[in-house]
Amino acid sequence: MKRLDGKLGTLASLPMLVVLALAFIAPLGLVAIFSILPEKVFSIVNMPNFSAFKTMVNQGYYKSLLWSLFMAFAASTILFIICWPLAYGMAKVFKRFALIITIAVVMSLFVSENIRLFGWVLTLMKGGLIEGYLRHWTGVGFESPLYNVGIIIFGIVYVYLPFMLFPLAQGISMVPEDARQAARDLGATRWQVLTQIDLPLAAPGIMVGYLLTFVLAAGAMAEAKILGGRAVIAIADDIQTAFTYGQNWPLGSALSMVLIVLIGTLAIYGIAKIDLDKIMGRD
Amino acid sequence: MGTSRTTRIALTIYGIIIIAFLYLPLVSVAFASVSKARYLTFPIKRYSTGWFSEALASTEVRMLALTSLKIAVIVTILSMIIGFFGALAFARYQWRYRSLFQKLVLLPIFFPQTVLGLALLMWFNSLGIIPSWKTAIVAHLVWIAPIATLIVAIRAYSFDPALEEAARDMGASTPVILREITLPLLMPGIVAAGLFSFLLSWGNFPLSLFTTGADSTLPEWLYAKMVSGYSPLVPTLGILSVIGSFLLVIAALAGLAIYRALRPQK
Amino acid sequence: MPANPILRLKSVRKTFGHFTALHGIDLAIEEGEFFTIVGPSGSGKSTIIRLLVGMDELTSGEIWLRDKRIDQIPANLRPTCMVFQSLALFPHMSVGQNIEFPLKLRKIDPAKRKARAIELLQLLHLPASYYDKRVTECSGGERQRVALARALAFDPEILFFDEPLSALDYRLRKSLEKELKDLHARTGKTFVYITHSLEEALVMSDRIAIMKSGRFEQISDADEIYSKPVSRFVAEFMGEVNLFQVTASDGRIEGAGLIAAPGDATSTMAERITAARDATLMIRPEYVQFLADGQVADFEISGTLNGIYALGSRIHYEVKTGSGQILTVEKLREDRYDGSQGDTVRLGWSAASAHVIEDTPFEEKVA
Repeated sequence: MKRLDGKLGTLASLPMLVVLALAFIAPLGLVAIFSILPEKVFSIVNMPNFSAFKTMVNQGYYKSLLWSLFMAFAASTILFIICWPLAYGMAKVFKRFALIITIAVVMSLFVSENIRLFGWVLTLMKGGLIEGYLRHWTGVGFESPLYNVGIIIFGIVYVYLPFMLFPLAQGISMVPEDARQAARDLGATRWQVLTQIDLPLAAPGIMVGYLLTFVLAAGAMAEAKILGGRAVIAIADDIQTAFTYGQNWPLGSALSMVLIVLIGTLAIYGIAKIDLDKIMGRD
Repeated sequence: MGTSRTTRIALTIYGIIIIAFLYLPLVSVAFASVSKARYLTFPIKRYSTGWFSEALASTEVRMLALTSLKIAVIVTILSMIIGFFGALAFARYQWRYRSLFQKLVLLPIFFPQTVLGLALLMWFNSLGIIPSWKTAIVAHLVWIAPIATLIVAIRAYSFDPALEEAARDMGASTPVILREITLPLLMPGIVAAGLFSFLLSWGNFPLSLFTTGADSTLPEWLYAKMVSGYSPLVPTLGILSVIGSFLLVIAALAGLAIYRALRPQK
Repeated sequence: MPANPILRLKSVRKTFGHFTALHGIDLAIEEGEFFTIVGPSGSGKSTIIRLLVGMDELTSGEIWLRDKRIDQIPANLRPTCMVFQSLALFPHMSVGQNIEFPLKLRKIDPAKRKARAIELLQLLHLPASYYDKRVTECSGGERQRVALARALAFDPEILFFDEPLSALDYRLRKSLEKELKDLHARTGKTFVYITHSLEEALVMSDRIAIMKSGRFEQISDADEIYSKPVSRFVAEFMGEVNLFQVTASDGRIEGAGLIAAPGDATSTMAERITAARDATLMIRPEYVQFLADGQVADFEISGTLNGIYALGSRIHYEVKTGSGQILTVEKLREDRYDGSQGDTVRLGWSAASAHVIEDTPFEEKVA
């Protein structure tokens, strides 16, 4: 059986491996090569000179990288705090309502993120859903909260909420109920149960949620463009500009490489740490 | 732990608030889509369904929808096939590189889509392929096929390998086992994966943006209009796209319910 | 009823929606006692323990610990502790950290904590080197001991046990039963133990309570529960038993093909049977004799030998009576009855070894 499994496993993985090799690994390899080529060339037959990395530092592109990382971190942390109670409810308290929440949250994912962000513009802008009706009923309005860093973080929190919620709920559901009750019985307060039992035992879920939201948020662009009105430039936006308007593939590649290496390290570290078989249902 | 009634109620209210938070922007879009004014301000003074008829009559809109649909349908079919086999390699067969394969499958999901789209754009250009809706299919697959694999894998994990072994013991060959045992048992997962694939492809924009070339999908067009030059058709098309997605989900859930009701009772 | 109980339940009721798990039960447990509650699953025994440790709130009634009412006190503030069925060891902590957990919560300083943990390891016959071992690396029996050590760490007034041995294999269970009894003697603590296993209850307990459908059927010591059950349910729950539906008139006991020899021994029984609304005569299999020709007994019945089953040190015989009832006879191997299937046999037993169960309706047991 073992040998047959080995053969079948290899065969079954082939279609996916072909797609990933041709359309994921090869393009990334190309990005890696282009990142060290002289700027503004369009062919890989050039001598590498690393000038794109110099430009990146000299022209302050690192600022958008730092902004992106900061916003991703802030959003992940906020998401952790606001998702925890709901994830706890889904894992330990709700019965049917947990399913309703799951369906509602998954359905929201099917709506293109730019439509949802655009919805927030309509909701929050001066003369939008909230301000418009508020002024209509009370006569008092408020200035638009759009177009600043805070609202970009808000947008990231909004878009990536499911990616924190589900791993957290999964993590909390892996905390044995008996361990929580035993801690309580041994004299722990609710707060002590949270800090000494729930948080350490749900750590795999917390880590996956944090990583997932951080990684996705660090590469996000639409929030900054649609809600933030480019109050700050996201690194992904810079990358796009370099590739498209700038026609500078090596610069775009170099920026991409920095982001990929940062995110990739985190992602690989995180993915290596989680036991997929256990999380997905085999004990 | 005996969760107190108060905690339960408080958490339920919190859940409702979060769901409301997720859907509030869509409410604004829905309102905007029925506003008669060309430049939108709330409160809406006059309602009209005029933008809907205009949207539905427009050839441009029809072209956009058709492109999105073509991509989504092909991505769905391919993802279901790749996902079925991928899930077997992911969850069912104990082979040497299984754990490595699992991690490789997860990587594209963790990857920023904008960067992936741009890398693919450069890749296609280097290969001399002119981007069109066909290249967008490849781009979507990189992201969606792994998700489809995960969804089928959840089902494959709960699958008892003894069933396949029993079939083999009775003389079935590998292709027969796949067709007669594995495929029917994983079918609910494959259908769910197909549904996800279609919806995710239909709504995707960061990958389409760079890989469709001269063609354009609905989310791309909406984005272009949002970032530069508002069109009153944006909310209308947005809400139409959302309604289409939700109808599909509802139809799928209804289909599932009908299937369960009609299935011969054991 | 103990004069000075450590734990008292007064009309404790618990309902879940329309289902009543406990019908207003009363109970008093003595200081230092090993008290076991036995019952089939769904009898309400787990509900009791959850109420006692504070994991569920009671619907009505009171729980008193000595002269303090505790039913409104949250679990973490009650001076009692429980050993879980799953043991509920914290998988992210070492053996030492597990044992010290309750002490850490009580802000005991680290040196004292460690000393106490080592002391407890010794009490539970675990080497001190286990202090740094991961609980996930311990064997089933070791985990059991760690859970006990943790429960004893803060010196709780009462230790509750929720079927802690049920997941273990037979031999380990047997040795831990004796160890628990021994631990009870050494610590002098009050143990309240819940199990569905009669054997466990018999080996360890000072007193046993038998539960059925949210009520206590009988609370008594092991011997009395075994030989003088108050109901058919208790009689059958406590192991193999032969039951006869009987009536009595004019001092003569009749029913199910029984022949009762007239005499003082049977006439007192006959009086009780006459007074009772429904009466059942009970005899345990080990008290039934195969009667030789001419031999007489207080009670007699004849039948055919239906089956012989060797159970190691004992042998079970099944005898089918004229009315179709199947009786069980148990003999030690050395006292075996030499017969073969199909033989006609006469069975008999003394009045002293029989017992009359009053007022419980007889339900025909289908063989």
